[in-house]
Amino acid sequence: MDNKSTNTKARRNEVADVLIIGAGPSGSVAAKHLAQAGIKVVCLEQGHMPDASKYSGRGPEWELVSQKQWHPNPNFRDRERDYPINTDDSAVHPLMFSGVGGSATLYAGHWTPFMPSDFRVRTLDGVADDWPFSYEDLTPFLEEIEREVGVSGLGGNPAYPPKMAYPTPALPIGKVGSKAAYCLDAMGWHWWPGTNAIPSLPHNGLNACVRRGTCMSGCPEGAKSTTDLTHWPHAIKAGARLITGARVRKITTNDEGLATGAIYIDESGREREQKASIVILCANGIGTPRLLLLSATSRFPDGLANSSGLVGKRLMMHPFSAVQATFDEDLESWRGPFGQNIASFEFYESDASRGFVRGAKWGIMPAGGPLGATSFVGSTVFTDPNAKVEDMWGTNLHDMVERRFGRSMVWGIIGEDLPEESNQVLLDPDLTDSDGIPAPKLLYKVSENSERMLKFNEERCVEACLAGGAIETNVVHQMPDTGWHLLGTCLMGNDPKSSVVDQWGATHDVPNLYILDGSTFPTSAGLNPTATIMTVALRQTRQMIENRRNQEAS
Amino acid sequence: MSSNKLSLELRASFAAVADILIPAYKKYPSATSVGVHERMLDDVLDFRPDIVEAFLRGLSAINAADLSVSVNTLYKVDPEAFSAISLAASGGYYMTPKVRDIIGYPGQESVTYDAHAVPDFLLNQQLENVTRRGPIYRSTPDA
Repeated sequence: MDNKSTNTKARRNEVADVLIIGAGPSGSVAAKHLAQAGIKVVCLEQGHMPDASKYSGRGPEWELVSQKQWHPNPNFRDRERDYPINTDDSAVHPLMFSGVGGSATLYAGHWTPFMPSDFRVRTLDGVADDWPFSYEDLTPFLEEIEREVGVSGLGGNPAYPPKMAYPTPALPIGKVGSKAAYCLDAMGWHWWPGTNAIPSLPHNGLNACVRRGTCMSGCPEGAKSTTDLTHWPHAIKAGARLITGARVRKITTNDEGLATGAIYIDESGREREQKASIVILCANGIGTPRLLLLSATSRFPDGLANSSGLVGKRLMMHPFSAVQATFDEDLESWRGPFGQNIASFEFYESDASRGFVRGAKWGIMPAGGPLGATSFVGSTVFTDPNAKVEDMWGTNLHDMVERRFGRSMVWGIIGEDLPEESNQVLLDPDLTDSDGIPAPKLLYKVSENSERMLKFNEERCVEACLAGGAIETNVVHQMPDTGWHLLGTCLMGNDPKSSVVDQWGATHDVPNLYILDGSTFPTSAGLNPTATIMTVALRQTRQMIENRRNQEAS
Repeated sequence: MSSNKLSLELRASFAAVADILIPAYKKYPSATSVGVHERMLDDVLDFRPDIVEAFLRGLSAINAADLSVSVNTLYKVDPEAFSAISLAASGGYYMTPKVRDIIGYPGQESVTYDAHAVPDFLLNQQLENVTRRGPIYRSTPDA
């Protein structure tokens, strides 16, 4: 599933201006824009460049391999380039993918920028923290990123302030989207055609979506926006060097307490060092704190950039529920995109009468092939755990597939996950990756606020489906394999005593060490975060470029 | 594993279990009538080598003389093995062209569309009704 031929060899004694660790969405944005500004960039990525010809979506075996080789849970997928994660004490299982393009290789491409209220949670709702900047500060960068990504969508959504039009028209909402809209109209509730990181027209190296519907196991059409396609060709053309199969085990520092580069293990198992004047971490909300904790020294005994004690804490993963609704009509519900056909923000903003703060976004997705009658994103969930064998098999299997296949759709409900210091990333004392580097261990519980929020939204969702004529609904409350969004573990803030990085991603403790990924997010919103991760990374990268002459460096 | 190494006995045992799990019913053929125990089984196990061990373990526990009872027992005492056998049966079954044709599944196909076509929800004012209800976001308080 990988293309190793794209690997760039390490150069002994080379000192990069900037070393980026991780070639996912945020690292790719930084690499492209820094390189185009004439800065000498090296990026270390532990995975490989994806080989789109190996994506399974064109083959009849797609559903079979989606439940293993392309499962989003690295512990279940168990590829050599993935690292294991101890989730024994975590109610949500983190999902990620090691490779150029990062975990977006397996995302659905839901493009949902954070909203104005998401940056002022403390001010508006009295919980968590405000961000050091506002929605308005981000908007110009968001509009620029949307052009790079090739977002498809329809302007005018009353859930957002007005902004620039999307670069490609909205994808067809299909019969699934039409039925979902009908359900919401029956309740008088908000909906809008889905915005997706999936262009409807050829754009920036991407092909137009052909609605194959296999987005979450890699797009074989080259039509889902991932940065191996949209950013790395530009970055490499501008001189950035991308070294794949490079697993970083430590960020190095000098006597002045400045970062000097990183030590990594290449695919032959050889330990190498990449020196750099500035180091940027873009390894996601689990990988980034893991590396900081792995980089402890006598000067930084609790891990690098951890004088606040917050590295690894406040992990947010978005507890998620799914509602499968079946109708007595053909919805062609294997047809894509597997992005969101429509979305609803009816219950997104806080309403004290509901018994919880903050809210959730609903996105409707197709149900997939016949195995999708009981499964969602590779996991079997739409079954009764107490069912007898004959309930799910025999003639009942035929009846169930006849009833559900092509006639079902799945609402994904993402609720805002508020930060709690007890939810955290630690180093596991025993578990290691295939190079012997200590693996992360998660401590994570779903909060009472999240529980109430999900229950409320599940109930409203079922109401809407029944109002629209659903003949069957199945609710999966707080599905475990849904930790796509790994946020919050290196808090951004103005006070070095109570945060890890400033608003520009610079760590308070190590002036030339930056974090530009979602680990810095003070709150999680109730939205898919890739749009905001890339946007914040662009804003921070631009600041780095403008401030380059004043930057303290090793 | 190449399931060519499967003994005829094991293949026959799988066939018997597969037909209990997926019998002929209404317009739907049985599992073995579309060959899930033949070449398709080889293909499925090649696609999913991770299930081979549990698949074989499960089949070894099947008693042909009391098939229904032993399938139910396997479901209760070794769910991983039951899951492997049932996935081999259903995965193969729904990959066959005959079954796909019956249930109306063309597979994950590509389709063309006019990205500039005006969708019905704009022509029939359906979305306009949403817009008319006005903004639902909360503005930045200090903006």
